Order: sequence, then C-alpha cells, then structure tokens
Amino acid sequence: MSKDMKFLVVDDFSTMRRIIKNLLNDLGYGNVTEADDGATALPMLQAGNFDFLITDWNMPGMPGLDLLKAVRADARLAKMPVLMLTAEAKREQIIEAAQAGVNGYVIKPFTAVTLKEKIDKILETRANAA
Amino acid sequence: MSAIEVEVTMNTNPALQEEFGESIAALAGALAAGDDQRFFNELDGLVQRREFALFGELQKLTNDLQGALQRFRIDSRLVDLAEKEVPDARARLDHVLKLTDEAAHKTMDLVEQSGPLAERTSRQAEDIMVLWKKFRARDIDVIAFRDMLARMDAFLESAHADMDKVRGNLAEVVLAQGYQDLSGQIIRGVMKLVGELEVALVELVRLSKTGGQRVRPSNVDETSRGYGPVVPGVNHGPAVSDQEDVDALLSGLGM
Repeated sequence: MSKDMKFLVVDDFSTMRRIIKNLLNDLGYGNVTEADDGATALPMLQAGNFDFLITDWNMPGMPGLDLLKAVRADARLAKMPVLMLTAEAKREQIIEAAQAGVNGYVIKPFTAVTLKEKIDKILETRANAA
Repeated sequence: MSAIEVEVTMNTNPALQEEFGESIAALAGALAAGDDQRFFNELDGLVQRREFALFGELQKLTNDLQGALQRFRIDSRLVDLAEKEVPDARARLDHVLKLTDEAAHKTMDLVEQSGPLAERTSRQAEDIMVLWKKFRARDIDVIAFRDMLARMDAFLESAHADMDKVRGNLAEVVLAQGYQDLSGQIIRGVMKLVGELEVALVELVRLSKTGGQRVRPSNVDETSRGYGPVVPGVNHGPAVSDQEDVDALLSGLGM
C-alpha cells in the first residue's frame, strides 16, 4: 500500500472530518473522501475502490458499528481495513467492535501520533499477512 | 303506629332507618300529639345533622377542587413547557451546535492560512542562512553576496507582512473562542428548563400517585447506536479512560 491509498472518513461532524482529513494529508495521504454517516458511506464504499475506512461510531442514520458489520458482510468489502475513531468508551462496546472485525480502535480525543501509529500498525499487519 | 311511621318503616333503607328513623318517629309523635315545642326541637336537630353532613361533603369537594386546580396549574405548565419551551430549547441547542461548528471551522481556517506563512518565513530564513554562513566565513563571491542581499531584502519584507498576517490570525483565533460564552449561556438556559420540567413531572407523578410503578427505558438501541463521550457523573457502565486502556483491552482480545 502506498501514499496513493484512497481513504473514506465517516463522521457526522464536519469539523472532525476536516481534522482527520488534515492529519491524513500531513501523513502524506492526499486521497481522502468524506461521508457523514454509515448510510451515505456504504454506497460510496460499494461504488468507489476505497482502500481504508475510518469511521466514527455514534452518528445519526447508520451508526459506525452497523457500517462495520455491513462492510464485513459484503464480499467485495469484507477485507477492507477499518479503523474506528470514536468517543465511545464502554469496554463492552470496544469488545463488540473487535468481534465485528474492526482493525483498530482510537478513542477521542486523540493525537496525531496515535492516529499515525494505528494506521501504520494496520497496514503493517496486512502487509505481513499478504 | 301512625301513617307516617308506617311509611318510614316500609320505604327507607336500613341505614337511613337507623340514622333518621328515631328522629322522624319523634317528629311524627310530636306532630300527632300537637307538641309544637318538641316538634321544632326535633326538626332543628334533624336539620343540623343534615347540615353537618353537607359541610363534610363540601369540605371534600373543596379539597378535590384544590387538587384539580393544582394539577391544572402543573398540567398547564407542562403543556407550556412541551409546546413552547422544549421546541425552543431544541432550537437553542441547535444554535449551540451551529456556533461551535462555525468557531471550529473559523479557527481551522485561520490556522490553515497561517501555516504556509510561517513555513515560508522559515524556508526563506533557512535559504539566507546558507549564504550568511558563507559570508561570515568570508567565503562568498560578489555575485553570491548580491544574491544574498536581494534575498534578505525580499525576506525582511515578506517576513514582516507574513508575520503581521499571522499575528492578526492569532488574534482572530482568540476572538473565535467567544462562542464559549454564548453557547455556555444558552446551555445554562436549557439546563434550567430541564430542571423545571423535572420538578413539574415529579409533582405530576406525586399527584397522580403513580410513583411506585417505574418504567425503565430500554437501552437496547442505545448500545448499538452509541452513548457519546463519557460525561463525568453520568454512568453507563465500565469504560476505558484513555487510548492505553483501549490498547490493553484489544491486546487482551488478541488484537
């Protein structure tokens, strides 16, 4: 995977999407698209050759957990790396996300370093598995 | 037995018979005997007993009316809260969202504008430093020296303008934080409303005497939808406190 990877950032708050997008740009990932909830994101994912999904959990419409489950249930998207970036901090929720097949879980408020670490870790794991 | 006594005995129910039978009989007796004094005494006694019962009923009615009025007052307050102030509160909170959104974007705009200016200043200074070091080491020819002077002229001018702009942007960033004051006031107003609503509902429950049957809202949907950020004092069960906790938990799950 290279810096040309196509990211989809899903969050209902435009400020948070902008923060994540800027951080991704700073990390060298310039190809970033945004969506404001799972229901908007899913058809975009199905249509658009994305390489990496970063999603919030708590959103109106389709929440991030449901989006994750929908991605894992879609044969063409099932292997997509998914990073949950959320304020949801209950232990049972994190376990639920892990069971649903999330690749990384970053809790808000987060730092640029944490985001980079988790993305790198996910990509590294995938490169080793390939 | 007189005609009146017979009628009383035959047509009244046992309770009335017990309560009034004796008095009516005495009344009838006095009337039959032509004892006016005793007749009126008995009649006054009867009327007084009846009035006492009426006053009791009246007292009960007054209490009921008072309760109904109190409930009506709470009901009208609730109606007012539900019809006007709750939608108002929603509009006010929506405005808070808008204020915070605008302030965050404004701040990011200003920071994004300032970043390249600071970067350009740093880069130009770095370029000049290379020539400056050569000059200090007396290792610079005339052409390079002239180049350095031209660069310094340009640098001083652009650094002055750029840093002025950055300073202005920083001042605007500070101003943009003014949303906190406005949103804080609006949120306080909504908190007051929620408090009032709580008092009215508790009072209504008390008057309706349905406090014993508590219905707990289901949290099934909430779990999948999410609870939002952890709020101190609002407990939704065991939660992680930071990223390290998350990492430890996930690593425990083999991730």
